Amino acid sequence: MRGQGYSFIAPLLVLMVVAFNAPMLYMLGLAFWERGQGPTLEHYEGLLETPVYLRVLGNTMRIAVVATLANVLIGYPLAHWMRSLSGHGRVIAIALVVLPFWVSILVRTYAWIVVLGNGGLVNRALQWSGLTDAPVSFLYNELGVTIGMANVLLPFLVLPLFAAMIRIDDRLLQAAASLGAPPRTIFWKIYFPLTLPALAAGALLVFILCLGFYVTPAILGGGRVPMISNLLDTLINQIPRWEQASAISTILLIVTLLIFAAYRRLDRKASA
Amino acid sequence: MKRRTFVGAAAAGLPALGILGTGSVRAQSKEIRMIESGGASGESIEKGYIEPLFKKTGIKVVRESPSSLGKLRALVESGQTSTCLFELGSGIMLQAKKLGLIEKTDWAAVNPAAMFPEAKNEYGFGYQYFSTIMAWRKGVKEPQNFTEFFDSKAFPGKRCLPDFPHYCLPFALQATGVPIDKLFPLDVDTAFKKLNEIKKDVAVWWKAGAQAPQLMKDNEVQYSICWSGRVVGDPAFGVNFAGGKADLSFIAVVKGAKPDDKAAAWKLFHEMSLPENQAKAAQVISYTGPSPELDALLPQDKLWQFPTSKQNKAVQYFENAEWWAEHGEAVNKKWEAFKLNL
Repeated sequence: MRGQGYSFIAPLLVLMVVAFNAPMLYMLGLAFWERGQGPTLEHYEGLLETPVYLRVLGNTMRIAVVATLANVLIGYPLAHWMRSLSGHGRVIAIALVVLPFWVSILVRTYAWIVVLGNGGLVNRALQWSGLTDAPVSFLYNELGVTIGMANVLLPFLVLPLFAAMIRIDDRLLQAAASLGAPPRTIFWKIYFPLTLPALAAGALLVFILCLGFYVTPAILGGGRVPMISNLLDTLINQIPRWEQASAISTILLIVTLLIFAAYRRLDRKASA
Repeated sequence: MKRRTFVGAAAAGLPALGILGTGSVRAQSKEIRMIESGGASGESIEKGYIEPLFKKTGIKVVRESPSSLGKLRALVESGQTSTCLFELGSGIMLQAKKLGLIEKTDWAAVNPAAMFPEAKNEYGFGYQYFSTIMAWRKGVKEPQNFTEFFDSKAFPGKRCLPDFPHYCLPFALQATGVPIDKLFPLDVDTAFKKLNEIKKDVAVWWKAGAQAPQLMKDNEVQYSICWSGRVVGDPAFGVNFAGGKADLSFIAVVKGAKPDDKAAAWKLFHEMSLPENQAKAAQVISYTGPSPELDALLPQDKLWQFPTSKQNKAVQYFENAEWWAEHGEAVNKKWEAFKLNL
């Protein structure tokens, strides 16, 4: 009886392999092949000779780390606050977090231009209140990209974190308090460790999504914040050097898998 | 077992449906597919060339966009033959030719009306002249040439420049005093040096043609280098064709297209060569076709808006597609490095 499940998912599996996995493997394989010449490593050599591509990869990692940290700093208190709300408030708060999910990422990204542009809401408010004389440049730099990415990815962190937080039994915290622990100790010794796995998982998810971001750097970066997917777009669509793009993608994939493996190892150590 | 019979029947039925589908379309009329660059330019192809072709012959042309070289490579390498026509920039066409992605044009079958020689390429139909020029938001100090445009002290304001080296470097080189007839072979390092001087004043490097005019309207930037068709005739902007770049867009036949699709394509090319059709297209977007007789058919009070009118052609340089096809990739690496240090 158990084996029967496979026949139900077989069509989906076949679809995944044929439409997704096989083309992806083909794409990765391209990097090891030169047309009319056979197998080669020259595309990887090309990568080493042009350090600029690897520097874009480094730049992408750095921005992804910053955006993830921003997400954690905003998301953790937000999820914690949502936990403290009662029934109705909680539903409204969740709705507010999830709502932007239903709006196209393109629209959300453009909305930031209305809010943060030179003639945008924030700058007008700042100038009106006399805090600044000239418009502050929020957009078309790394700050703008980080804000945009943090906004788009916030639900990916907040939702799993919130789910983990509401599972924490209040009586645990009460027990600690009754034994004389001050609130700070309760938070760091009991509450925070219990949320750590969800926080790590959420942060990792956000980080990996950051690595592949295309729309936000393209629009809010104003072409001044080079990230790897925008570089890949140039190599695939304009030049088109698919072999080079494939070599870069392979390295990106390996780095991502290594980070994931490191996380799994940490996770296993923590739970052991 | 029931499930299996259903799947089997569906599998057997699908191809049959497919055959029925294409069969009925064939019976009605001939239809070919084209991938073009989209926007108002695509509309101009529809109004200028596709509608007249349909009225005369009943051939339908279905448009899709956008058109990137990567997409063309994917079409050809996957062996598909459903898309027959593809729009390509002048430099991109040379690359496509080198990669074996497009077919030769059968000019005898096209039997075109008179057209400028550079538009009658062995591998494609040069259908649309367009310019890349300086523009500014009305009310700021107006530059007369690129030396002034790049002088952000005398002409204060944020700039919006194209995020493509072949659109940026020749203008930067002009700013160092190189005249338009001496731009090529391009002195890449001097051009980058000039760009380095101005980069702090460049707020946005644009990728999409609509960005520059919108940013000027929002007063995010005051000056930009952009496509002429996006800004001329708009009272919000001032423009100057001096030192601008005139270029030609081509439509070519995708490698491996079916013979009867190609026959239909040659008929479309013939329509594209007729000056009266080019005048219709120019009503939609202020770019011009390759007919030497076109100027007389254009609205005379708007001649200054078109890339090929006499007063504009004289002050612009023409894109050197051969140079870029040869050096494009190497320059692009320097471009990425330049962008990293912004």
